[in-house]
Amino acid sequence: MGKSFDLNLVFDFLPKLLSYLHITLLILVGAVLIGLLVGFLAALPRIYNIPVLRTLSAIYVSFIRGTPILIQLFLVYYGLPELLKTIQIDVTHMSSLVFVIITYGFSIGALFSEIIRAAVSAVDRGQTEAAYAIGMTPIAAFVRIVLPQALTIAFPNFANLVISYLKDTSLAFYIGVMDMTGRGQTLGTATNHFLEVYISLAIIYYAVCILLEKCFSLLETRMLRYERQFPVSQ
Amino acid sequence: MIRLKNIKKSFGKQMVLKGIDLTVEKGEVVVILGPSGSGKTTLLRCINFLERADSGAITIGDLSVDCHRATKKEILALRRKTAMVFQHYNLFKHKTVLENVMEGLVVVQKWPVERAKERSLQILEKVGLSQQIDMYPSQLSGGQQQRVGIARALALNPEVILFDEPTSALDPELVGEVLSVIQKIAREGITMIVVTHEMGFARDISDHVVFMDNGVVVEEGKPNEIFHAPKEERTKQFLKRITPEWRYSI
Ligand SMILES: Nc1ncnc2c1ncn2[C@@H]1O[C@H](COP(=O)(O)OP(=O)(O)OP(=O)(O)O)[C@@H](O)[C@H]1O
Ligand SMILES: [Mg+2]
Repeated sequence: MGKSFDLNLVFDFLPKLLSYLHITLLILVGAVLIGLLVGFLAALPRIYNIPVLRTLSAIYVSFIRGTPILIQLFLVYYGLPELLKTIQIDVTHMSSLVFVIITYGFSIGALFSEIIRAAVSAVDRGQTEAAYAIGMTPIAAFVRIVLPQALTIAFPNFANLVISYLKDTSLAFYIGVMDMTGRGQTLGTATNHFLEVYISLAIIYYAVCILLEKCFSLLETRMLRYERQFPVSQ
Repeated sequence: MIRLKNIKKSFGKQMVLKGIDLTVEKGEVVVILGPSGSGKTTLLRCINFLERADSGAITIGDLSVDCHRATKKEILALRRKTAMVFQHYNLFKHKTVLENVMEGLVVVQKWPVERAKERSLQILEKVGLSQQIDMYPSQLSGGQQQRVGIARALALNPEVILFDEPTSALDPELVGEVLSVIQKIAREGITMIVVTHEMGFARDISDHVVFMDNGVVVEEGKPNEIFHAPKEERTKQFLKRITPEWRYSI
């Protein structure tokens, strides 16, 4: 157990921890960007039913869903350097941060691909046919008609995903990344006031989550402006 | 001019089109009648390759395509000569009325945005939707949505517009406004192929009537001949059932 509880320390720790918030956000943003890219690439073979690739994508998604993120993190952290060694690439000096971002990127990507796939199939087929009927190419029909609506449909789930991964970034300190939680760990060890550290951390994570939720819900309202706003009177 | 030659189409074991021939002159309005399941929708969808016919040939203007062998390029070219008005409108839900109409001009025909907007506004005025140009489809009544669908087709200045039961999803009190818009553009000499169950409308609008049943053309001719003096027994049965109040010289 630590020393006796001191509320003032909670406020002391807040700025110290906040100065590492940008690392936490960097992990999140980097991972979301990778996740969007990977997620799209993984979704396409299943949307268009491309043999082999479709199966690979399904295996990838089910593996990510079926394993804890912490184990994925260790697998990448210890496994990727070994794998790369066999093709003569040395990554022993690469920052742990990179491993975290890659792991979280692929992890988000798998779930995002599921969300995108469901959203694309939720856009009614008739609109694609209408786009073909006016002479659009399949790519134009997808990009201009299906995708914008699919993104809107996917958005609430996507927002939840981002928020839950914000919280999961706190696991990064297990492989030695100095993010907010990592910094909290060292602060706790140095002062022996772990409870105060964790209260500060909880406050910060909670505040950031609330802030993100607010932003997402504003965006969502904007994206949904084409949904029915008032009943038809005529 | 549009010419369909020996169009055949099966879904699995079921042969839905058993060799359809049809010629539509420029400016002509052809109405296709027939009982449910006779293949009318399938025929329209084969014309713009939303379904690919198993065999047969389609000619529209100077473009002839063999259905079985048609390349992606030919299909695209064919679709750019046609337009379609759907039973369920199929409007682009995330675009405003004006954007729905402009989409084809800007994206497919590569018009500059300003010119496309100008033309789209003219056409929306023609279908009576000048007040609704900035609304989204979800804010419109069914009749208004279908008039947007018609404007979207009309904007492209196609060689033929295909109508698949344009009013059958509408509440009865909204049917009239859509039919009168179709009638109005028919008078402007636009070539149309119309599938409908609105018999009065069909008789008034058509230059030529085709009666289909079970994947074949049973009988075709001038509206007067088909509606008032049909020759084939199946045509008679169909008309008697659907418009018992009309008088036939049968
Ligand atoms: N995609 C499809 N797959 C399988 N069968 C189909 C498909 N589309 C149509 N059919 C079948 O083809 C037949 C003709 O259908 P079609 O929709 O062309 O008839 P229709 O004349 O338009 O009928 P309605 O007046 O009810 O609209 C029907 O038996 C239908 O079940
Ligand atoms: Mg039909």
